[in-house]
Amino acid sequence: MSVNRRNVLIGSGVGAAVVVGAGALGYERAVSDKPEPPAPPATNAKGDLVWRNWSGIQHSYPELRVAPKSEDELANVLRAAQAPIRAVGAGHSFMPLVPTDGTLMTLDNIAGVTDVDANGIATMWVGTRLGDLGPALAAKGRAMANLPDINKQSLGGALGTATHGTGKHLRAIHGDVVALRLATARGELVECSADNNPDLFNAARVSMGSLGIITQAKLKTIPNRRLHRRVWLEDFDETVSKAEERWKTHRNYEFYAIPFTGLAANITHDETDEPARPRGPDTDTGFLEMLKAVRNLLGFSTGMRKTTAKLLLETFGTPEEAVDEGWKLLSTERPVRFNEMEFHMPAGAQLSALKEVVATIEKYRPDVFFPIETRRIATDDAWLSPFQGGEHGSVAVHAYYKDDYDFFFTMIQPIFRRHGGRPHWGKLNSLTTKDFASLYPRWNDFVSLRRQMDPEGRLMNSYLKGIMA
Amino acid sequence: MRVALMVVCAGLALADCGRGKPSAEELANFKPADPALATLYDHSCKACHAVADSGAPPVHDHDAWEPRWQKGLPTLVSHAITGFQAMPAGGQCSACTREDYEKLIRFMADEENKQ
Repeated sequence: MSVNRRNVLIGSGVGAAVVVGAGALGYERAVSDKPEPPAPPATNAKGDLVWRNWSGIQHSYPELRVAPKSEDELANVLRAAQAPIRAVGAGHSFMPLVPTDGTLMTLDNIAGVTDVDANGIATMWVGTRLGDLGPALAAKGRAMANLPDINKQSLGGALGTATHGTGKHLRAIHGDVVALRLATARGELVECSADNNPDLFNAARVSMGSLGIITQAKLKTIPNRRLHRRVWLEDFDETVSKAEERWKTHRNYEFYAIPFTGLAANITHDETDEPARPRGPDTDTGFLEMLKAVRNLLGFSTGMRKTTAKLLLETFGTPEEAVDEGWKLLSTERPVRFNEMEFHMPAGAQLSALKEVVATIEKYRPDVFFPIETRRIATDDAWLSPFQGGEHGSVAVHAYYKDDYDFFFTMIQPIFRRHGGRPHWGKLNSLTTKDFASLYPRWNDFVSLRRQMDPEGRLMNSYLKGIMA
Repeated sequence: MRVALMVVCAGLALADCGRGKPSAEELANFKPADPALATLYDHSCKACHAVADSGAPPVHDHDAWEPRWQKGLPTLVSHAITGFQAMPAGGQCSACTREDYEKLIRFMADEENKQ
């Protein structure tokens, strides 16, 4: 049998084992699913087609949808189109950053890597999806230093929301940007870098499309190396006690606390010259289905659920290893839709916050089955970077897209806030202008610059008006 | 065995026998003939429907598409626009019109010539 966590631990064999002894009724209960959440009408009264985000909780009916093929076309849209004008990538943000009844603009046609200079600085159009950047850079012998765990986002969306991967010495994607070009609300193209328009550069790297539409970015890249990926299960307490050491010693380290099991799934990536041993077929969906089945069957008793899940995972969960180029390993498919809250705490507060989150979920929320993601990110100096001011650690809580997520706001956000957390800009939170002003030393400077860049608020939708008008 | 297979094939009005599941290479290479539609497909549908283990019905995989096609094109278009189960609303295509979705679904189901 191959040694593969996903094939064994997560596979359908475990799911079947869950219901052995429970009989047909148990099987039905284990695999049962809620109905689809209500969907908004496909069109509004004017006949405009609905736009929804990936998870389905945000929607709007844009009057105009545009896909400019050049910066000039894009600038013309900014000058003339119906406001609010919002750029969209993959729609992976859970916050209402995209919804507009005015103009929805995709940069899908302004995509690709144009060149990589002798210093490894790559020039990229920000409509490029992260999943396409990997092969495009690899063809030139280069790679992004780090990647988030989903590869569907556009580069522009990832920069705008401070999307990140994991690694004590690795910055979020915007942290590797050395220059930007953006089209302003007036339709002018402006360049900025640390030496040219530095305030705009520091503000625009994380700006959610509020200062202008970023069209092109220059990013530092690294030589394209193979990484050795290891995945293994161990006791949650042991993982927490060893986490800091692992962040110090591994290129990339993250772990998933698996609620109601007492276990954590650990993932490391380290550079290697070993020959490639690609990952097998993805079975993460099977893993989630198994956790859901155990919840459905034994959610009424935390003790029985914990004993059963731990036994199953320890019996069937064998480690996984793979060797391949980083872009093939760091990002994965996420076919199961969910909603998510993620906050970034100062590094010293991260694990304390995580333990409190796990304890709270296991005490009050037996409906939760998604693992809780725990990552580490190096600091950078963008004004609205959640990682500004020192190394930060993130904790992310997920809820199946058919399940309730209100507890994020009532139970989880207060824990993150007590631990000095800043929310991921694209993920659920209920923070206000006052909160952001206290979390970000340059908040007022950012808002002031935003007013100069877009005095008429043509790029502001309802949410952005509410926090930074 | 071969005789039995031929008999089964002969009994199927749609004669799907022998069309088989596309290989990974075929999945990566399928593309709508219309250039504009191909661009939309490349930017959106392909990310999931050309990946065998993404959970989405693979392009030109008749076994995966047949039960869906039975629901009727209007239902499939509606699911594509508003989202359904693992399928995110709009299929990550922010520039697609209703007509684009119809054509893209017909292409992926390999039903471009059927009403």
